[in-house]
Amino acid sequence: MSSIATTRIQRELKDIKESNNQSIKIELKSDEFNNLRGEIVGPSGTPYQDGMYKLSIKIPETYPFNPPIVSFDTRIWHPNISSVTGAICLDILKDQWAAALTLRTVLLSLQALLSAAEPDDPQDAVVAKQYKDNQKAFVKTARFWAQYYANAPGPRDTDCVEKLRKASEMGFYKDISLQALSTHSWDLENAIQYLTSC
Amino acid sequence: MESDDDYYEDDIDPDDYDDGHNFDNEDVEVDEGYLGESSVDARISSYNPDLGDDDPYPYECLSADKVVGLMNEIIREVNDIVNIPSTTLRILLAHFNWDKELLLEKYYEYEGNQERIFAEAHVISPLKSKSLARRKSGRSIEQACEICCNNYSSSFMTGLDCGHSFCKGCWSQYLCTKIIDEGMSQTISCPEFECDIIVDDAVVMNLITDQKVCRKYQHLITNSFVMCNPLLKWCPAPDCHHVIKVEYRDKRPVKCECGREFCFDCGESWHDPVLCMHLRKWLKKCDDDSETSHWISANTKECPKCQVTIEKDGGCNHMVCRNQACKHEFCWVCLGPWDPHGASWYNCNRYNAEEAKKARDLQESSREMLQRYLFYCNRYMNHLQSLKFEHKLYARIKRKMEEMQQLNMSWIEVQFLKRAVDVLCQCRQTLMYTYVFAFFLKRNNQSIIFEGNQADVEKATELLSEYLERDVTTASLGEIKQKVQDKYRYCDSRRNVLLRHVHEGYDKDWWEYIETS
Ligand SMILES: [Zn+2]
Ligand SMILES: [Zn+2]
Ligand SMILES: [Zn+2]
Ligand SMILES: [Zn+2]
Ligand SMILES: [Zn+2]
Ligand SMILES: [Zn+2]
Repeated sequence: MSSIATTRIQRELKDIKESNNQSIKIELKSDEFNNLRGEIVGPSGTPYQDGMYKLSIKIPETYPFNPPIVSFDTRIWHPNISSVTGAICLDILKDQWAAALTLRTVLLSLQALLSAAEPDDPQDAVVAKQYKDNQKAFVKTARFWAQYYANAPGPRDTDCVEKLRKASEMGFYKDISLQALSTHSWDLENAIQYLTSC
Repeated sequence: MESDDDYYEDDIDPDDYDDGHNFDNEDVEVDEGYLGESSVDARISSYNPDLGDDDPYPYECLSADKVVGLMNEIIREVNDIVNIPSTTLRILLAHFNWDKELLLEKYYEYEGNQERIFAEAHVISPLKSKSLARRKSGRSIEQACEICCNNYSSSFMTGLDCGHSFCKGCWSQYLCTKIIDEGMSQTISCPEFECDIIVDDAVVMNLITDQKVCRKYQHLITNSFVMCNPLLKWCPAPDCHHVIKVEYRDKRPVKCECGREFCFDCGESWHDPVLCMHLRKWLKKCDDDSETSHWISANTKECPKCQVTIEKDGGCNHMVCRNQACKHEFCWVCLGPWDPHGASWYNCNRYNAEEAKKARDLQESSREMLQRYLFYCNRYMNHLQSLKFEHKLYARIKRKMEEMQQLNMSWIEVQFLKRAVDVLCQCRQTLMYTYVFAFFLKRNNQSIIFEGNQADVEKATELLSEYLERDVTTASLGEIKQKVQDKYRYCDSRRNVLLRHVHEGYDKDWWEYIETS
């Protein structure tokens, strides 16, 4: 790894610790500076509120002249993040990256993205469509995912719990059932039909 | 063999020696000194007497340095009119695709509000940048570089007129990444987030110490200049850094100093008589079908009689099986016996529609299309392959010429051999493209005449090729010279007949084309 990248990462880790912002965290995965683990807290006033989202951060050899490669390890229901792979669609992680940006700004931008989705530039077409056509179902799903995967506190939606239980009882894996139910805006019949057809 | 056309005098002007193929093909080297001469001396023009083409096509072959000179000339010209620093001007011109008229037009259109033109090109207006003077105060306090997070004295910090500064080490790494990894030149912006001010060439040249990166940067700038300019085109030969400059755009052949002749319009090797449009379609098809046709281009085939694998290492299609017990003579292209190829009734060049009809009854029409394609592709590839071996033939003929000179023939007297190889290569090149032409051609009366002409050239070319590859010995020199000259003159005249007929057809709208998918 280049010396600039290493000093930059060391410096950035120190700065984040000192900034005392409880809602973002970055730590080394091992002794290597090219593989980091990040964590952000879901911003309040959103379905993601108080969820703990783990991120995988890969630092390229040419950092900071090229952007870090960031994806969600914790599954999330959001138009700009793939509900399957965790891949993120965010301009500063692509062509808008600037050498003067830092991981801290990336994490803060991701928090901002959770607060304000950009459904016209979607990463996950299914989620984006639901976001635009059926806000109610979207909020319900995003909240349930936050509780289910990101340990967001609070009572879970009984309708969701019930339907997920029914689907699992029919022998489908829970993750797959949840994906199918979410995709079909919690229409159990459609979801089951989808699950049996594939 | 007699030609029905006028011979033209080809015995031998020593100046002629270099205008065809470079004899020492291994070391085609471009002499930089030559390029230093004034552009008027370098001006050459193509004039193809073969085609009765009597309007010359004027063009120049420029070295990369000359192209840089051309760029600087444009900058100077504009600078004479508007007084803007040349570094800024270069960015402005690049923004307007090097169209100086457009730049000046906008500059005057925005009269009084010229900031706008600078903003659109992402540069700080030189009119106001003085007030924004770079952060280069006398204070020698330490400053932190936002990229590497180290502290440096302000003399080691630098930046553009936008005022964002970074340490020189980071700057140079940043520029290297952009230039080498991303191939950017005049669109590199300040490393600060959301700052789109473009780095000018003086800053780049100041900050980069690695010569390799500098050269790449200059090449990228030159390249974008050439790409923007419809009157300039890079020579397509690999590793050739010359540019052809024309006075007007046309579908005409131009020849680079390295020897590569290409079509100025499409940049492919000169492809008379097929149209650029058809050639493009053809090349794409060859690409798409590379798997099906791969076997065709392979350099080995099996003897049709004994199945011994035979490798082709020369251009001649007359194959003799190397199995001593077999020695079967056959045609590389159609794999038929060689004997009838000499006879006048034999056509190895024409796709036989009768046969095809039979095939159609048996098979799907798509299959026939594929066969049709393979038929023409096979013949096209064959000549392409033979042309790839031409340097071998040139080398062999060169040795022959040396032998002959030792037998008291003068240098001038033996030039007929080189001329013969030139004609052979020209014929192969023309034939190759006539198969592309034929692939798109609908059958009509004129196309039948065309096929006749093509068959003539094909046959004559193979005879010449065969003669050059095996029959040229040093015995009875006078006789050989006569034979070789007869053969190549015939080839050349038939080639001209073939080309002229296709051109006449273009003029008179004889050609109809098939629909291709
Ligand atoms: Zn620095
Ligand atoms: Zn800037
Ligand atoms: Zn060239
Ligand atoms: Zn062309
Ligand atoms: Zn054999
Ligand atoms: Zn044949």
